[in-house]
Amino acid sequence: MSAFPGIEAGGVEPPALLRLLRAAASLKCTLALLALLLPAIVLAYNFEQWRSWPLAVPLAGLSLNLIASVATNPAFRRQSGLLVFHLSLCGLLALVAVGRLTYLRGTLELTEGATFEGQLNTVDAGPYHAGSLDRVRFINGGFRIDYDPGLFRGATRNTVRWLDEDGGWRESVVGDQYPLTTRGYRFYTSYNKGFAPTFEFTGSNGQTELGSVHLPSYPLHELRQAREWQLPGTDRTIWIMLDFDEVILDPETSSQFRMPADYRVIVREGEHRSILAPGQTATFPEGTLRLVGLRSWMGYNVFYDWTLPWLAAAGALAALSLGTHFWQKFMNKPWDS
Amino acid sequence: MESELQVLWAAIVAYVLSGVIAIFGVALGRHRERIVLGLMALGLVLQTLSLGMRWSRVGHGPFITLFEILSSNVWSLMLVFALAYWRIPKLRPSAAVVMPIMFVMMGWLMLAHPGEGHFPPTYRTPWLFIHIGMAKVFLGVTLVALGIAGVVLMRRFGIGLTRFAGLPDDRRLDELAYRFMALGLVFDTLMLITGAIWAQDAWGRYWAWDPLETWSFITWLLLAIAIHLRLTFRPQPVRNAWMIVAVFVLAFLTFFGVPFVSESPHKGAV
Ligand code: HEM
Repeated sequence: MSAFPGIEAGGVEPPALLRLLRAAASLKCTLALLALLLPAIVLAYNFEQWRSWPLAVPLAGLSLNLIASVATNPAFRRQSGLLVFHLSLCGLLALVAVGRLTYLRGTLELTEGATFEGQLNTVDAGPYHAGSLDRVRFINGGFRIDYDPGLFRGATRNTVRWLDEDGGWRESVVGDQYPLTTRGYRFYTSYNKGFAPTFEFTGSNGQTELGSVHLPSYPLHELRQAREWQLPGTDRTIWIMLDFDEVILDPETSSQFRMPADYRVIVREGEHRSILAPGQTATFPEGTLRLVGLRSWMGYNVFYDWTLPWLAAAGALAALSLGTHFWQKFMNKPWDS
Repeated sequence: MESELQVLWAAIVAYVLSGVIAIFGVALGRHRERIVLGLMALGLVLQTLSLGMRWSRVGHGPFITLFEILSSNVWSLMLVFALAYWRIPKLRPSAAVVMPIMFVMMGWLMLAHPGEGHFPPTYRTPWLFIHIGMAKVFLGVTLVALGIAGVVLMRRFGIGLTRFAGLPDDRRLDELAYRFMALGLVFDTLMLITGAIWAQDAWGRYWAWDPLETWSFITWLLLAIAIHLRLTFRPQPVRNAWMIVAVFVLAFLTFFGVPFVSESPHKGAV
């Protein structure tokens, strides 16, 4: 099939558009643009802020070059495998571009027993992201992680209860490479997890609120199990530290992440310092703080990119068509001729 | 561990013998190809045994430490080269180019510490085998292409003119090397795709510009450039041979340099 049937007939001067297309299809141009990609990759690798334009320009050039080449170069009409390969490369590029415009990635932390209601701690999204994260609901049902000697983290098994798209609750165990996938969002557990002292705060108006303090990641910040926390509904910031003597994760043997059996929480505000065991309280002008207990929290990474299955399909097509092209090309002549 | 290492050393002795006989065969014009092939096969059987013993002992494949990665690559490169040597007699003298490179890798393997590494949970997936399998075939066929390119270059520099005289002319060798590079491109493409799928599963992103990803992409791009250079300018076989050397060097650095310069094979693995 010719892109311009009849136009290439001998002797007739090709129209300006065709001449332009042929110039745009130049294979030297392909080489120059491919070579231009090399410094662009080096830039992208070294500087996060150089990951769009320096790559987009040569890639857009290559796409135009390829489209012009497909329209004018008879080699693509003769070799359908080659044509499909180049087109799938173009398809991959287009999908990556669309993915960059519509993706979302973010992080969140969830206390054991708490429900995710669409709020992320950090978000990074393409300008046209239009998912329905606000309708995602899941409950962190707690996790289990085994550690090998040397504090090597084994598999994470996090039980989650989640609302499926038909409105029913389901239970799954997720972790590492098995994300919770719902409404196109993938929630991956992360190495970021730890202890969360949980309090009940009763204000002077008699209202009680439950709050958890996510202490720094454990065992990464084993020796820094403290942080500041603002009492719910007040301006008062207090300092909270978890204190226990047990060895939870033993570098010498296999162990498991678990709550310490015996622990105290130190609450400090200015000069005032209280040591709380579960059930004990500390009093502030704004109300009373009672330590309910200790839970765990899990940090999740969220990823959304609707192009993923299409990318995989385009990639598979690229590899398959490339294989077919070379197969047809080399099949006729033996390798040892 | 002792017996597993002894079997490995025995395999290396077999490989080295096969290489020495092949090199002297080319240098002295004596063809001992059956013996060379037999020794390569013996080395492969022994190394397979050693890898299997270690696998059953530590409970995971040879994918973690430098020692394991070198060992499994010596195995896969020898396997691909032995197959090419067996099936395509015309390229047999290229053993004089390929085997010295293998000797370097074997020497490095013998110096590497055979201790165990930690097998991360994200490695428990079939994508590990698919991705690494593709990578190994890619490097293997690139090595075969390098062997042929090496013959073209040696001829160019007047080395072994008479010894390589029995081989097809440079144009035919160039065509044969190109076929292996084409195969290399197919498997490199598959390696990148399966790697991205695995990265998505394991770390929640299919691409993150980590050192290994970036270097693999550059290698792929260089292959695309090499193929298009050939297509556009129809260069002399010697120039094509240099391109093959460049692709192999880059691939080699990507496989054995980058993972051990950065802390772990992929940054995301930590
Ligand atoms: C984007 C701009 C590109 C253009 C315009 C282009 C164009 C072409 C053309 C016209 C051919 C001719 C085939 C023939 O005459 O038989 C070809 C072949 C080929 N191209 Fe591209 N190409 C592009 C990018 C790429 C890329 C990024 C790759 C990646 C590896 C690639 C791989 C190949 C391969 C493998 C062949 C087949 C060579 C053979 O049959 O021996 N191309 N290309």
